[in-house]
Amino acid sequence: MSGGGKTIRVDYLARVEGEGGIYIKLKGDQVQDVQLKIFEPPRLFEAFLRGRHCSEVPDITARICGICPIAYQMSAVHAIERALGIEIDPAVRLLRRLFYCGEWIESHALHIFMLHAPDFLGYPDAIQMARDHRGTVEQGLRLKKTGNRIVTLMGGREIHPISAAVGGFHKVPSKTGLRSLVEDLKWALDASLSTARLVAGFEFPDFEQDYEFVALSHPDEYPFNEGRLVSNRGLDIDAAQYEEHFTEQHVKYSNALHSYLRGRGSYLVGPLARFNLNFSRLPEIAQQAARDCGLALPCRNPFRSIVVRAVEMVFACHEALRAIAEYEPPAAPRVEIPGRAGVGSAATEAPRGLLYHRYEIDERGIILLAKIVPPTSQNQKRIEDDLRHFVPGLMTRPAEEITLRCEQAVRNYDPCISCATHFLRLKIDRE
Amino acid sequence: MSVRIIGCGNIDRGDDGAGLLVARRLRELGTGTQEQSGEALSLIESWAGAETVIVVDAVVSGKAPGEITVWDARAHRVSSGFWPGSTHHFGLAEAVELARVLDRLPPRLWIYGIEGRRFEQGSCPSPEVMRAIGEVAERIRRSVHIRELSFPEHRAR
Repeated sequence: MSGGGKTIRVDYLARVEGEGGIYIKLKGDQVQDVQLKIFEPPRLFEAFLRGRHCSEVPDITARICGICPIAYQMSAVHAIERALGIEIDPAVRLLRRLFYCGEWIESHALHIFMLHAPDFLGYPDAIQMARDHRGTVEQGLRLKKTGNRIVTLMGGREIHPISAAVGGFHKVPSKTGLRSLVEDLKWALDASLSTARLVAGFEFPDFEQDYEFVALSHPDEYPFNEGRLVSNRGLDIDAAQYEEHFTEQHVKYSNALHSYLRGRGSYLVGPLARFNLNFSRLPEIAQQAARDCGLALPCRNPFRSIVVRAVEMVFACHEALRAIAEYEPPAAPRVEIPGRAGVGSAATEAPRGLLYHRYEIDERGIILLAKIVPPTSQNQKRIEDDLRHFVPGLMTRPAEEITLRCEQAVRNYDPCISCATHFLRLKIDRE
Repeated sequence: MSVRIIGCGNIDRGDDGAGLLVARRLRELGTGTQEQSGEALSLIESWAGAETVIVVDAVVSGKAPGEITVWDARAHRVSSGFWPGSTHHFGLAEAVELARVLDRLPPRLWIYGIEGRRFEQGSCPSPEVMRAIGEVAERIRRSVHIRELSFPEHRAR
């Protein structure tokens, strides 16, 4: 920071996925402008899906993200199945929930322990944190491994899973195969509970916002693959109506489109939204974990998202154990793709939030149009709004602390900028 | 002696797929390998239990494209600066240094870095990197087969 026009600059924000930056312009104590800049070139997946057969879409979209490939596969297969009128076997539905549990456990463990906890414990990174909190980091490592095991078993391989198919799976696991996961998952359930207690003891900035939370909601279960899109301000729509209510806007400083609720502005997707809108659908063990952590509804402090992620790990481990206990292999791994044209939309809950896909398909099964709206794209504007309201309360703090807190505020969202179009540079200008 | 060979990278980003292509080339030559995205925690798990681990990945260090560098990661710290675009910035260098703190480094850990120049989504590997892929695969295959795993010709920095 230098006198007169003051600038705080971080070359890049570590511990997020992708390349981007933040620019904050201040005049006195007033925030004049906040820009979340995403430099990553547009990835053009929507364009090169056109002309491919719909059966190829799960494998292609899985390449959009190395962290949440299953989310892309799930939104894709559900949208295509809706377009083609395919009804899946209940056992396939159960397996897809189990698959998603693995990705949530992997992703949440990585973010809680390696990317976000260092902010709260005062370390520049997980390596430095591990010197003083070895047991904690070891626990994160083992939790992530448990998620990996589910994904590897279900997906056929550790990276770029290949088993998900339109209509089901290319190959389904045996009951014996799934049972091999049980002991690890029982440990992971206990470890998730202790993780929730650990992170609940962190110190959280006194910061709340009046968010419009948007998430899937299902009458009977905490959402993964199914449900209506709802908000705390009355939104209650089918995924097919998504584009009537949500719009995207290009801003010149970002390669990722900003999402808005038409006529209302920014909104929040992800763990905090799911938790606030679906608390009653959490199993009792997760609800009790939340109460024990002091999470009260509504939780509007984005810094507490680390606690919500831990509660969602409790849920995911519990749900995975339930799915394995109830699993009976389906008569056939998948339903054949019918030769018909159609348009279908679906949204599923990626670890970072709502992931919307829409496909138009011709009678040969060829993709005519694809639309993909990732969670980080939807949260972009909300991240800017958080910073706009958060920064003024930091004005008396040293420049280094302001920068650190702003980075932490961005990491609340576990942004995956590669999905949205790849890391952040922070610059604050003061007049 | 258990030797584990791990290729890292993203096959969809040009030269970033170099490690994976070395792993695939070695399998064609009859040598078992693993593939990883390069995400740190999965990497630490992937080398658990092995006595000797060879990791191959693309690097960006300012050298000429296709140039091969070998690090003895047990003996020397690994700088994250060679992997500027790794997943969540929590990739191979972080895996090595976190494993060092947690006493999870294998007894011998060699890293082959292939200097890349082309990392755009959807691009093909550059000709220089393609040549290096063949050379690294052949060097690893020869070393594994004759169990010459001290790599004396490449004393690492």
